[in-house]
Amino acid sequence: MHVTREVREVIMSRTFGPSSAPPIPDPSVLEGVTAPTFAYLPDPSILFARRAARFRHLAQNNPLAPYLTFLAGLCEAQHAAIAATPAPEPVEAAQVERARANEMPPLDRSHFTTDAAFDTLFERALAEATKIEQPEAARTALERVRMASDVARGEMIRNVLASSIPEEALAEHLYVAAALEAHFARLASQLDAARLVPVGDGVCPTCGGPPVGSLIVNWPTSHGARYCACALCGTLWNYVRVRCTACGSTAGIGYQEMEGGNGAVKAETCDTCHAYSKVFYLTQDDGLDPVADDVASLALDIKQKDGPYRRAAFNPFLLGY
Amino acid sequence: MNMELSRRQFLKTAGAGVAGTTLGALGFGPIEEALASTIKPFRLVNTTEVRNTCTYCSVACGILIFSKGNLAKGEKADITHIEGDTDHPTNRGTLCPKGAALLDIVKSEQRLKQPMIRRAGSDKFEKISWDEALDKIAKAMKADRDANFIAKNNDGVTVNRWLTAGFLAASATTNETAFATYKVVRSTGILAFDNQARV
Repeated sequence: MHVTREVREVIMSRTFGPSSAPPIPDPSVLEGVTAPTFAYLPDPSILFARRAARFRHLAQNNPLAPYLTFLAGLCEAQHAAIAATPAPEPVEAAQVERARANEMPPLDRSHFTTDAAFDTLFERALAEATKIEQPEAARTALERVRMASDVARGEMIRNVLASSIPEEALAEHLYVAAALEAHFARLASQLDAARLVPVGDGVCPTCGGPPVGSLIVNWPTSHGARYCACALCGTLWNYVRVRCTACGSTAGIGYQEMEGGNGAVKAETCDTCHAYSKVFYLTQDDGLDPVADDVASLALDIKQKDGPYRRAAFNPFLLGY
Repeated sequence: MNMELSRRQFLKTAGAGVAGTTLGALGFGPIEEALASTIKPFRLVNTTEVRNTCTYCSVACGILIFSKGNLAKGEKADITHIEGDTDHPTNRGTLCPKGAALLDIVKSEQRLKQPMIRRAGSDKFEKISWDEALDKIAKAMKADRDANFIAKNNDGVTVNRWLTAGFLAASATTNETAFATYKVVRSTGILAFDNQARV
């Protein structure tokens, strides 16, 4: 039976007294169980600051502390560069609509061209990165990126956007990826999340990239839903649970975690495509950040090297696994 | 599927091993090696998450069953947790109080695991085979229907009712099973009947 608001108020006032009485629990909040929102776009003004804080938190009593602290510094550089440089031009509305009509991501990675806004952000992010305490190898790589010709820089940008990094230049590409993350998070934040459409299994609906992992969220409106996190632009998009994020299969899905773990980070393994990607349970630890905790749970990836599954996730901070 | 191509390119270029990792390239190789040796004694633990349907009523809410151990890997699996499936369009992760207590029925000592019978004159239940149980049920139903079937009501209108027996069928069946169950039970004249085809 449908109960109108007026009828409900009458019932409530009869049951709990007149409306002048102190506020009473409203049963209407229990209604309206809805499907989870499809996508959440990043807020670049806080995304990298929060990630930096998470890296610093994870660095406490962690054998990877020096690296986690370094990455905290890199995220702070991303945050500082965003705060200090003007926002890029939003993507043209016509392109957004055309992408939507054809179920394509509105940010087109394959035709990305640098502009003044990106160049400024890039220079600033790298300048900020020089302030980080880092090993000699890292500092040398950073200097190589800063000194790189336009052609070499363009090549590195294309590599990162293709999620295909040459093994001999992993360090250089880390800095390029950090600048691109900041730029794409800004571009993504200017879009309308409600206008995004699914573009394929395990593909970011904003920029078309692979996920770094997925979150099982504990948010009031979508408790227990799973969101994939884009490794580049930071978009979170809803994805069915117990389903491989690399191939979309629902058969032969298993989970593995480190012995003695608290169930907050697990590897979701797929017997169809023999890949795994990490699932982060905010229900177990609501401070989890998909990028930071992916790095901090490196032990899981080291253990997987013996197993039959290969790593499906893309994270420029953790390549080689 | 869509990203397999780019992943393969990546895997070709970045091989496994500490030498070919971001940490190694940045000069953090020693801590990576230290971590690898620290975790050597630890092993990976298998857990599973499986979709299923709540056993109780015809609403057929989706549930996720969590267990420790993975049967597919030849291990024993022990159910540790059951929650509503947010991806299921019927209940979107919500469960009624009965459904929310499913773990307790799974673990319950009193849960019925095979057909049981309390024979006439006995004070306790004993195990019985499915064949024997189904035969007894069929005989009892036949006798009851023969005795109590109502073909016409007081006004002489054909009604074909069988009101002295009821039938509760499973909630987690396919459409085809639900359809067949409905046809079989209704054609006997049973009115006190529930399965998920009702919803």
